[in-house]
Amino acid sequence: MRSTSRKRENVKLQPPMTPMIDCIFQLLIFFMLMPSFQSHEGYLTTNLPRDQGPNPTTQTNMERLKIELLDEGNEGEGVSIVLNDTQSLGDNFEGLRAALEGYRAQGLQPTHPILISPTMAVRHKFVVRAFDAAVTARFTSIHFAVPR
Amino acid sequence: MARVSKAKGGGDVGFNMTPMIDIIFNLVIFFMLISQFQQLEIEDVVLPEAERAKVMDYSEYRNIVINIIKGKTSSLDAVVKVMGQEYDVHKPYIRPDGAKTMGGELTAYLVDAASKGDKANLNVILRADADVPYDDVACVMLAAGAAGIERWWITTKIPESEQK
Repeated sequence: MRSTSRKRENVKLQPPMTPMIDCIFQLLIFFMLMPSFQSHEGYLTTNLPRDQGPNPTTQTNMERLKIELLDEGNEGEGVSIVLNDTQSLGDNFEGLRAALEGYRAQGLQPTHPILISPTMAVRHKFVVRAFDAAVTARFTSIHFAVPR
Repeated sequence: MARVSKAKGGGDVGFNMTPMIDIIFNLVIFFMLISQFQQLEIEDVVLPEAERAKVMDYSEYRNIVINIIKGKTSSLDAVVKVMGQEYDVHKPYIRPDGAKTMGGELTAYLVDAASKGDKANLNVILRADADVPYDDVACVMLAAGAAGIERWWITTKIPESEQK
């Protein structure tokens, strides 16, 4: 009888491991999945022109700053930047940002229109980098040239 | 006999909470994952990076997510997908007044979406692969413009250096 009661006491002392492992697994899965919910995506925002149909609204051509992006290499692997038809910047987007900041320093307003005009084969990433450079230089009115 | 009935009657009656918590955790994780992917019908694309991109709340708008996926063999074979359906944006679209514009069936889809509610509240979220040509993006822009949609968000990846 004595030995039986001792055995029972020993069994009672052990904590129940199964539910603990269950919960630990759940928490492990939860914290492994958590980083995938944290968004590393952001948005660059702009407005499209009101009418891109066959009779587009005539825009006032108030000396827009024009950023031309010309495709280079095979399938537009490279790019060449031309600012305002005169300044050739190669593929230097830092140079583009500096040039745009220069215009701002000269007194150009943030609302001054900027037109990004890529050729059709230019890759989307270069268009986004030009857009990003204009936003970095604190321009707010950024438009895209599209074929008619 | 007396011992047995005592043992039966003396135990604490209560719910076993562990499996319930287990199942609740599983359901929470499941629905969080489902809602993440169902909400915007996003496709797997390699987004371009932009330092000035901002995390924004899109919930106040009627969003249309337009995915432009890079072609399997060449970056020139891009595929435009909305809600899982492919659109050929290089085909012309004939407007009700007989005039032609680009965007094909995507323009028809966007015109239809614009007519069904507050057009001013419509928001196009572009998720284009970094390597797709501007040609496809421009056609999508024309389609959205023809439908009278003004708000245009370009989805980008925020570089690690800019992530908080």
